[in-house]
Amino acid sequence: MGKSKSEVIWGRRCHPFFNGSILVIVLSQCFSAPSQASSDQSYETLRQWISADSPNANELTPGQHLTEKDREKYLEQLIPQSAWEYYIFAGMDMEIGATGHYPAPQNWNQKSATDYQLDEQGVLVGFTGGKFPFPEIKPDDPEAAQKATWNMLWRPGTDNYDMPMVTWLRSENGQLDRQMEFVGVSATYARGDHSLVPGYEEVKSKSIMEFRSPRDMAGTKSMTITYVDHYKENSGWMYMPAQRKPRRTLSSERTGESMGMDMIKEDALGFSGKVYENNWTYLGKRSVLATVNVRDNPEFGGPHLWVPHKARWEVRESHVVLIEPKADNHPYSYRIVFIDAETYWTHWMFAFDREDDRLLRMNQHFLKYSESYATEVAQQAPFVKQDYSKNLGYNVFLHLGETDINAKKPHATLTHCYVKKRNFSAARAKQFYSLRNMTSGRR
Amino acid sequence: MIRQQKQVALAGLLLGTIFFASSSWGIVNITDDLELEGFVNAKNVVRATNFSNGDLIMQRNTAQLEGKYYFLRDSKAFGRFLTGRLEEATLTVIGRSIYDSVYDLRDSYDGLEGKSESKIREVFVDMVLPPFTLRLGRQQVVWGETDNFRALDVINPLDLSWHWSQEPWEDIRIPLWMARGIVDIGKIGPFEESFVEAVWVPNDFESNLVETDPRYPWAFYGAGLPEVANSVIIGDQLYDLDVTVRDQRPRRELENGQGGFRFKAIWGDIDFSLNYYYGFSATPGVKVRSELAELDIDTLHTAVDLVYPRTHVVGLTANFSEEKYTQSVIRLETTVTKGIPVAIEPGAPLGIDPEQDQFDTVSQMVVMLGLDRPTWIRPLNKLRTFFISTQFFWRRYLDYSSHYQGVSSVVPATIGGATVRDRFVSVNNNTPDRDEFVITFAASTSYGRAGRWKPTFVLAYDPRSTGAFNRLSLEYLWSKHLIFNVQQNLYWRASGDEQGPWSIGDMFGRGSHRRNETVFNLTFQF
Repeated sequence: MGKSKSEVIWGRRCHPFFNGSILVIVLSQCFSAPSQASSDQSYETLRQWISADSPNANELTPGQHLTEKDREKYLEQLIPQSAWEYYIFAGMDMEIGATGHYPAPQNWNQKSATDYQLDEQGVLVGFTGGKFPFPEIKPDDPEAAQKATWNMLWRPGTDNYDMPMVTWLRSENGQLDRQMEFVGVSATYARGDHSLVPGYEEVKSKSIMEFRSPRDMAGTKSMTITYVDHYKENSGWMYMPAQRKPRRTLSSERTGESMGMDMIKEDALGFSGKVYENNWTYLGKRSVLATVNVRDNPEFGGPHLWVPHKARWEVRESHVVLIEPKADNHPYSYRIVFIDAETYWTHWMFAFDREDDRLLRMNQHFLKYSESYATEVAQQAPFVKQDYSKNLGYNVFLHLGETDINAKKPHATLTHCYVKKRNFSAARAKQFYSLRNMTSGRR
Repeated sequence: MIRQQKQVALAGLLLGTIFFASSSWGIVNITDDLELEGFVNAKNVVRATNFSNGDLIMQRNTAQLEGKYYFLRDSKAFGRFLTGRLEEATLTVIGRSIYDSVYDLRDSYDGLEGKSESKIREVFVDMVLPPFTLRLGRQQVVWGETDNFRALDVINPLDLSWHWSQEPWEDIRIPLWMARGIVDIGKIGPFEESFVEAVWVPNDFESNLVETDPRYPWAFYGAGLPEVANSVIIGDQLYDLDVTVRDQRPRRELENGQGGFRFKAIWGDIDFSLNYYYGFSATPGVKVRSELAELDIDTLHTAVDLVYPRTHVVGLTANFSEEKYTQSVIRLETTVTKGIPVAIEPGAPLGIDPEQDQFDTVSQMVVMLGLDRPTWIRPLNKLRTFFISTQFFWRRYLDYSSHYQGVSSVVPATIGGATVRDRFVSVNNNTPDRDEFVITFAASTSYGRAGRWKPTFVLAYDPRSTGAFNRLSLEYLWSKHLIFNVQQNLYWRASGDEQGPWSIGDMFGRGSHRRNETVFNLTFQF
């Protein structure tokens, strides 16, 4: 069996200590000029693309494979233009699946608060989950952008899982710079008419994430509490084995890259910032290709091994939301998010550099419908085996990973998630998601 | 030879198991229930006292292996025995071997016993019996909010003999046999996320380890010469000094147990804890047994007792994530410790030293106020923030006397104005200040692809003695297995010659005894 491309590239790398001055390398890595983003990655170009029609979308047939030859007829019409540089490449293979209907869970929309509203800042007040707060988005509604986003933030399936993950950080030409393994565990507390743990009605969700590798990060874990009150910042703690104690973390700094990854905190799932820190515009609906209901955690392809290859794609109608950060020192001038019009999962996100309105970062998400596991065998994480048949019956989408690209470095972070749904009992959640659990770790 | 071959074969088998047992790494699954992780590290330290001659003082090679065995999951032990409400249990073992090859490499260290260590540092069982969790075994427990200066973090003593406090404290804490239990409470009254934690060390007492033989590179010999006091001057007469040191450390008996508890919770947005710990001082006091002193023709025979007084530590910690105005995490730790040993000058009034043994215990208060802040310095880094962490320490003797003494020094013996060759005496002209301060500042960020270049800047500064310490460090994550690190440690002082209490530039930055050093680290991690 031949080596994978990533292994070959690991082996081929030259050691800078043998290859010239360390100082030169440090300087070149730290202060190298950003590569020239291609001219079609500007904000204006993407806006024009959004405004254009996609007349051939209905011609696609399930089972059809799109290759580079389909560039003009299909690919350029259905892949947002800012992503063409990465997603359309020689040897590409996109399998087209039937555009599916993915109903929400049976108990969704049944036991939820009704006395909620958007305040003058566009913030959802009085909502406690259990349904989409705004089942109908009207294009002429001046608050349509915020409403689509609130549906995205409260969609079903966001939490309640055990999720081992593997992340690859790659430079151009597929060079693997770092690989990480970690596990996320998360639970939704706010469930409409009740909280998962009675007495914790102010909590929206709690999550714990722990690194397994590399060894210099192994055992590091964080706990995050998000709140129903959107104005309240998350609470966070980090346990580091080297310190043997938890450390409180700040939540309101959301614009810096961390752990070498190519996304900022606000980029998670397309938009994870504060609604009131942005101006909002609804740009209408647009059909896009999306890795919805992928068969498996997709392999990565393209010239840099950054994007899904040989994966299953669907044409999905999406709400297109324009987000403009109010702060002058925010790195983005504009952020455009494509949110699925039925499931409210994010498919694509594009963020533009405040300095020149060109693409700075983007992400694209791989989703799988839980009921697909009735007929499809799940891919196991490399470090733990899980019974994915337990995902059946949830009727939700599972986040199987994403591609995050920093277009100006250029560099990408690719993640595979192995989601197994998990329903915590109130007692177990109370014990597990507690500060007590952060006082010690693997060591 | 056969034994060595067996060891090599065993090591090969172990490494083979680690590398081929699983496609995963970092934490390696040997089986579904057994995980291993670890590293080997080579650390070379070159001391350049005044940036002139490099002097290799350490070549420490470390191998550490950590194993975790999940023998009880989902209330079933070893996959067959039901355990009722005991839901989970694991066994953790952390072993470490160190060999410092510099003692074999350098002729100047001939006659010194090389430093090495090989032991199971930590071994403990974790048990989860909601809402109760228990960790039993040899372990480290860290309380408090401070970094690198201790107030509440006193449960485990430190091994300062290798490299003073310049190693990660996880690696120099001396693990103790103890039980650590936590009862999770959750919401109670105005408090959230609350729990009560208790620690009991039945009979395992260890003191801080300090190397006092001045021939070792990181020996502690105060502000004097790197010599042993071998003489004493009585009147104008020089005598040999013969000191019998009697270590009166607590015996391994139940009555010499140590323990404490804390209540931790969130009140509003403030994460706080109330702490109490009843232990022994890890730093000994010295009782001079003058009643045992004898003066013969040319020698003073005397005895001192090393004693470890009982201590009571009462503490409050708090942190608050201020998200709006300062975007900082504010940390607070304050303690009052009763029972800290202190030296008293000879001949002090009976009111100060009623037993005339030049020893007493005092109470001290420590207040630490700290700030953590991810900070944008965009001219230096456009992509990532700098993590800035700063601390202000104030330590105060609650009962203070001008007769108290600090660290003694060794100086040449002088008779009639003339220095006597090879004869040294101990003097103590160091009077501690009632109030002591130190300020720390650290900044770190990352650069390059995947953030693999990690520079760090550290400063500690004592405003009273003007002693300071700097560390400039650069780490490079070469691959998932290899990490390079280079550090420059600088000890300096701004002015004067006052001796401070923190063992930084005032102590280790003196003239020809300056301990500036360059550290080269290479780590291979699984």
